[in-house]
Amino acid sequence: MITLRLAYRNLMGAGLRTWLNTIVLSMAYVIIIWQKGLLDGWNYQARHDMTNWEIGGGQYWQEDYDPYDLFTLEKSHAQIPEALTGMNPQRPVAPILIGQATIYPQGRMQSCILRGIDPEQTVLHLPSAALQQDIAEIPVVLGTRMAESTNLNVGDTATIRWRDANGTFDAADARVVRIMKTNVPTVDQGQIWVPLARLQQMMQLPGEATIIVVGQDTNETGPQEGFVFRDRKYLTKDFEDMMQVEKLSGYIMYVILLSLALLAIFDTQILAIFRRRKEIGTLIALGMTRGAVIRLFTMEGAMHGILAAFVAAIYGIPLLTMQARWGIPMPDITDNYGLAISDRIFPIYSAGLITGTTCVIMVVVTIVSFIPARTISHLNPTDAIKGKLS
Amino acid sequence: MKFIFILALLLFPVPLHAQFPDGAAVLEKVDQNLNSTTQVIRSKMIIHSRRDTRTVESKSWTEGDKRAYTEYLAPAREKGTKMLKIQDQLWMYSPSTDRIIQISGHMLRQSVMGSDLSYEDMMEDQRLAGLYGAEIIGTEIIDGRTCWILHLVAKKDDVAYHSRTMWVDQERYVPMKEELYAKSGKLLKKTELSDFRQINDRWYPMHMRFKDVLKTGDGTEFVVDSIEFNTAVPEHLFSKAALRR
Amino acid sequence: MIVFLIKGLLRDRSRSLFPVITVTIGVMLTVFLHAWLKGEMGDIARSNANFTTGHVRIMSRAYAENKSQIPNDLALLGVEDLLGQLRLQYPDLQWVKRIRFGGLLDVPDSRGETSTQGPAIGLAIDLLSEESSEVQTLNIEASLVRGQLPSMSGEVLVSDEFAEKLKLQPGGTLTLIGSTMHGSMAMQNFVMAGTVKFGINAMDRGAFLADITDIQQTLDMDDGAGEILGYFQDGIYHDSLSLKIEEDFNRQYTHSGDEYAPVMFALRNQDGLGEYLDLANYISFIAASIFVGAMSIVLWNVGLIGSLRRYGEMGLRLAIGEDKRHVYGSVIIESLIIGIIGSVFGTLLGLAVAYYFQVHGLDIGSMVKNSSMMMSNIIRAEITPVTFIIGFIPGILSTLLGAALAGLGIYKRSTAQLFKELET
Repeated sequence: MITLRLAYRNLMGAGLRTWLNTIVLSMAYVIIIWQKGLLDGWNYQARHDMTNWEIGGGQYWQEDYDPYDLFTLEKSHAQIPEALTGMNPQRPVAPILIGQATIYPQGRMQSCILRGIDPEQTVLHLPSAALQQDIAEIPVVLGTRMAESTNLNVGDTATIRWRDANGTFDAADARVVRIMKTNVPTVDQGQIWVPLARLQQMMQLPGEATIIVVGQDTNETGPQEGFVFRDRKYLTKDFEDMMQVEKLSGYIMYVILLSLALLAIFDTQILAIFRRRKEIGTLIALGMTRGAVIRLFTMEGAMHGILAAFVAAIYGIPLLTMQARWGIPMPDITDNYGLAISDRIFPIYSAGLITGTTCVIMVVVTIVSFIPARTISHLNPTDAIKGKLS
Repeated sequence: MKFIFILALLLFPVPLHAQFPDGAAVLEKVDQNLNSTTQVIRSKMIIHSRRDTRTVESKSWTEGDKRAYTEYLAPAREKGTKMLKIQDQLWMYSPSTDRIIQISGHMLRQSVMGSDLSYEDMMEDQRLAGLYGAEIIGTEIIDGRTCWILHLVAKKDDVAYHSRTMWVDQERYVPMKEELYAKSGKLLKKTELSDFRQINDRWYPMHMRFKDVLKTGDGTEFVVDSIEFNTAVPEHLFSKAALRR
Repeated sequence: MIVFLIKGLLRDRSRSLFPVITVTIGVMLTVFLHAWLKGEMGDIARSNANFTTGHVRIMSRAYAENKSQIPNDLALLGVEDLLGQLRLQYPDLQWVKRIRFGGLLDVPDSRGETSTQGPAIGLAIDLLSEESSEVQTLNIEASLVRGQLPSMSGEVLVSDEFAEKLKLQPGGTLTLIGSTMHGSMAMQNFVMAGTVKFGINAMDRGAFLADITDIQQTLDMDDGAGEILGYFQDGIYHDSLSLKIEEDFNRQYTHSGDEYAPVMFALRNQDGLGEYLDLANYISFIAASIFVGAMSIVLWNVGLIGSLRRYGEMGLRLAIGEDKRHVYGSVIIESLIIGIIGSVFGTLLGLAVAYYFQVHGLDIGSMVKNSSMMMSNIIRAEITPVTFIIGFIPGILSTLLGAALAGLGIYKRSTAQLFKELET
């Protein structure tokens, strides 16, 4: 305890130098927590969006379905299993029938994917209710990206041509009833959402679906005849991979920032030991063990970490709170990667993140403080009192 | 589309249905006229695309509507490319790869040489009487020739075009115009036939123009340079081995 | 006096070495971090540039309007002339032509019949010519999984996952079935020289790389290309310069009514990348400011420490009659020398490290999955003009400020006190 008080007093006595070190170290705290919080926030937001817009609590895929091979669409549809039909509130599902089609906006052919979804579904946040329109044309909902690439607006019509299950050509006009803005490009790019029953009728596939999205709280995901269950982990793999890369690249920042702060502390420690040889000699001469002196000096160094935590709290808490409230604007180029990213990312600072960061910084600060202090162990007290460093 | 016919009927009062001949019989005659046991045809396909116009020449040997063999003659790039149809299968041989690839599934929907025709369109059964029920819904004069307006509706589910309308020359039993419709009744493709010549005892269109109406563009012309009916076609042509020869 | 001081610094290592090392390390960290931040923030833009947008991209007007559908029927023609003109007009950029296309890859069995088949996305680039920068731009060599790079016409690289699906081994033959720019079916045999990993799932499932001359021939695009991309010679996107080139180039065609006339887009004006660049610049500016601030504080402290430990010497000098101002002046000049030496060394070292990472990059992908890919997992530093000077701010100014503050002690303390410190 006495060491602690002594260390504190010595540290305060150093004045400006201590505060300079503390400020730099506090910046490391704030930036590391901010950046990790940002990544966590992004991670959370992306998962949240993907869950809400695309994957729900997981998806049953018709066993032939392969989203990366459009050729499989021709055969990847099957009767919706008994257990997954109906609007059982205990077990909500959203069956989606997927088919290939060609849309002719302004006379140019463009391939597209028709996705039939029940307008009354509650599993996904898609504005499927907008499809419940009684119009002669096929009511369709497009994402903003698709609307842009087809140059269609709400109220516009375009011809869609498709082939039913027998291979017979069919075509009809579609009217855009709603353009939705979503952060999830996979439900937007190249996709045209139509009412499920209408698509089943168009394709001559009554009661069939390609994938069945289950509700977010569904736990029963047992096997269903002809369908394979894909859990969230499987469906977010691409995102997971990218997140890992992001995390690793973040570490470089932390390492540089920390090494900056540590350089300062290391420097301070060396000077302190140099300037206070006499004091060290005296302490040892008075009977303090070398170990105790090393502890004292290490403590002094490590205390920078504690002080910095307080300083970081003083300006960091308001700053980070503000960030969490206002979010950070993100540009929408990430579309090219098919990753979900919203206009704004709101950082999330978990208790684990904050305590974890604090612990890591404390440990490295202690180590860095200890390394120069080690020289004390070779110190000859008589030389030290004389002010000589061996 | 239907209402146009009704409109047409109202505007041009024509004799009642009972006075028209049987549609199926007319269609049968059209089939007889256009199809034969064998056909050897040399033709040009003139493809108008957005950017340029290309001409592809080919020679085909056809036997009934089940077997056909086509060899491309020009341009140089396509020369030597061969196609073989047996029943509902289609193979293509390209001399540059020396490979025979079966065209199936998705590939069948691709356009042939960039034209408004797809491989599927080419695969189609030529004899319509088996696939469609026919009814005459009126008459019209095209290019000075009186035509029956024949409305065709598919008898089965797996026919590419659910219905067609065909303007058939009442005297020669050749179609002068044809429109292909989707199940919904939407017009998908149009064909115009002209330059009819009498060959032996039949009339045959030497010029056809195909147009995918959903797409902008000038469509594809098909010009027959020479055609022979019911001549002997060597059996060996209808084998995959012939493609490599 | 300066010579005297330098001699002193050189001879008394405790006076010079330690501070110089500290300043050097600090400056090096700042310089490297600046380049790193620039590079990291530019990473998305760079991946986009390498794969899609170039630093500038030229397409035909009609192609550009429908570019999401990769309409090769609307591709640029007369590409060699255009390339020649571009190389003459804008020698600062490397100009390359590319064709994106779709098709089927068909693998024959021993009798030449189809054994496996799958839909493919193709990217045709200049793989073979000596002067081509494409292999480097797309980081192909490092992303090679099996086999080797194509060394002659008719060889392609297939994504590893796709090759496995097709049960194709390096050296195996495959047939590309595609469609020419006129819409005819095109078939061509290729030999798979090797397999690569792209690092984008959609591409890893079914993409392949071919030489552009082969593809021009296969797709009947004689002297045609979907896109011409321009890259600055140093590999770094220069925003204002590329905008100027864009404006300058497009001016030549403003009065052309030809819907196939070439039109240039700077990276900024493609796919919302401008917005991203602005954000990236903003973030890296903030981050760099914080770092320079932090580093300044650290080096200030170093300056402070450097002078503090020499109070004894100053006492002696004052005692033997040296003027206080003179002592103070010498302290300042010494710190300036230390600052300059440290900053120069630090900047050089920082630049060297940054340059290494600019050229080689840090392969984060290999840390993640034990394999390297073409995209978005190699982070590269990026040296900009600012990188050269940024280290001097903390390096010189802060060291100077630290020394100046600590040196004030010369005026505050009496000679005797300072002299006493000499004993210790």
